[in-house]
Amino acid sequence: MADIKKGETVVVVGTRKGLFLFHSRDRKKWASRGPYFKGETVRHALLDPRDGKTLLAGVTSEHWGAVVARSTDFGGKWVLGKEGPRFSKESGLSVTRIWQVRPGSNGDLWIGVEPAGLFRSDDGGDTWSSIDAFNYWPGRDKWQPGAGGLILHTILPYPGERRRMLVGASAVGVFGTHDGGESWRLMNGDVRNPYIPQKVMGEEMVGSCVHKMVRDPRDPAIVYQQNHFGIYRRRRGDPKWTAIEKGLPSPFGFPMAAHPHDAGTVYTVPLEGDFNRVTPKGAMAVYRTTNGGKRWERLTKGLPQKDAWFTILRDALRTDDGDPAGVYVGTTTGQLYHSRDDGDSWQLLADHLQGIQSVEAGTVGGR
Amino acid sequence: MVKGESRVRVMLPRALSEFAGGQESVELGGRTLADAIQGLNARFPGLGYRILDDQGRMRRYVLVFVNEDPVGHLDPQAVPLKDGDTVHILPSVAGG
Repeated sequence: MADIKKGETVVVVGTRKGLFLFHSRDRKKWASRGPYFKGETVRHALLDPRDGKTLLAGVTSEHWGAVVARSTDFGGKWVLGKEGPRFSKESGLSVTRIWQVRPGSNGDLWIGVEPAGLFRSDDGGDTWSSIDAFNYWPGRDKWQPGAGGLILHTILPYPGERRRMLVGASAVGVFGTHDGGESWRLMNGDVRNPYIPQKVMGEEMVGSCVHKMVRDPRDPAIVYQQNHFGIYRRRRGDPKWTAIEKGLPSPFGFPMAAHPHDAGTVYTVPLEGDFNRVTPKGAMAVYRTTNGGKRWERLTKGLPQKDAWFTILRDALRTDDGDPAGVYVGTTTGQLYHSRDDGDSWQLLADHLQGIQSVEAGTVGGR
Repeated sequence: MVKGESRVRVMLPRALSEFAGGQESVELGGRTLADAIQGLNARFPGLGYRILDDQGRMRRYVLVFVNEDPVGHLDPQAVPLKDGDTVHILPSVAGG
């Protein structure tokens, strides 16, 4: 097993059956480690960017429940927290799956779970506090699940403002807090939903099926959203979301990723539609905008253009922090593609994995 | 060992022994099954949560036997343990 050294790029891949690591000094020649958590589903895992050393994994077993595991030696030893995340006894709720693990901006660690719930750890994942204002939202009994379940799948801390955060829950919508989670407000304004009479959501209406959100790293006030019924952009202070999917083959898809350095540059992978959640016409394409969604480019060089009928899940598209950026995309049929030139061209990094649930990339030791 | 506690042996399946330093069985003290699981979690942090859910119930697809009696459907606090008992924790056979 090859050592993993400071400065290397590490790609952390969560699959239906375990976690895999791929690492490289030059992003050309890769070595692998794993699988870890054999037989268990890893819906999200990442290298903590705060130290570039700690791996964090949300692991779900249908037998043994859902836990957050961490490793500080790149998988040599995994440690569980002393306690798992717990809903209150009165709620009757029980954590079944972990969908998102996200380091905060103040040494804190957040997880999003199923049924839709949010928990924070202030001790690196040993113990968890329920974010009650979200978890016991007064109208929670009216929340409805999406096809993936009633899940909190996206957590977006605000760099430099530790009490400010957005989260996304399907099929409920986007929630924002500016007081560290003590209170939340819905932010669904003008998101389309053809199943409601007026066709668009009001800002505080429940029922928006957000699939993924990313922040623009150069301007964190701007957030992009891939929704069930469209793709949107919103700047802090805006009263509603603005649709930006013009030029894409479909408004439907799951993942989004932001370029690490270039403002307004975002990636997505549209699927045929909610009636057939596969790459359109059996051809895989990543789409990139470099101007905040005014125009989209179809990126296909090196990606399969024939007989490619798979799905890209909500966390299976990410960038690294290289320059030019590396972009990584995983399929439900177990292929991991990567680009080391901002998405202009692609290579197969790994094949024959289990269905890929999540992909994250980072630099050992930070950058 | 606390006075009045029983000494029991807990047999772990492979999925849990990975988080118990590779041990397949652990000797613990406790008056009830809930005590034994709490002791297991104290020695190997996180293992308790893999056996009991948020509400303190045995997870749905986890089987527990005390000696040869199935007790997984019972409240763990209501399952007494006595000296020399063997607790088996097993994943149920599930799927198709």
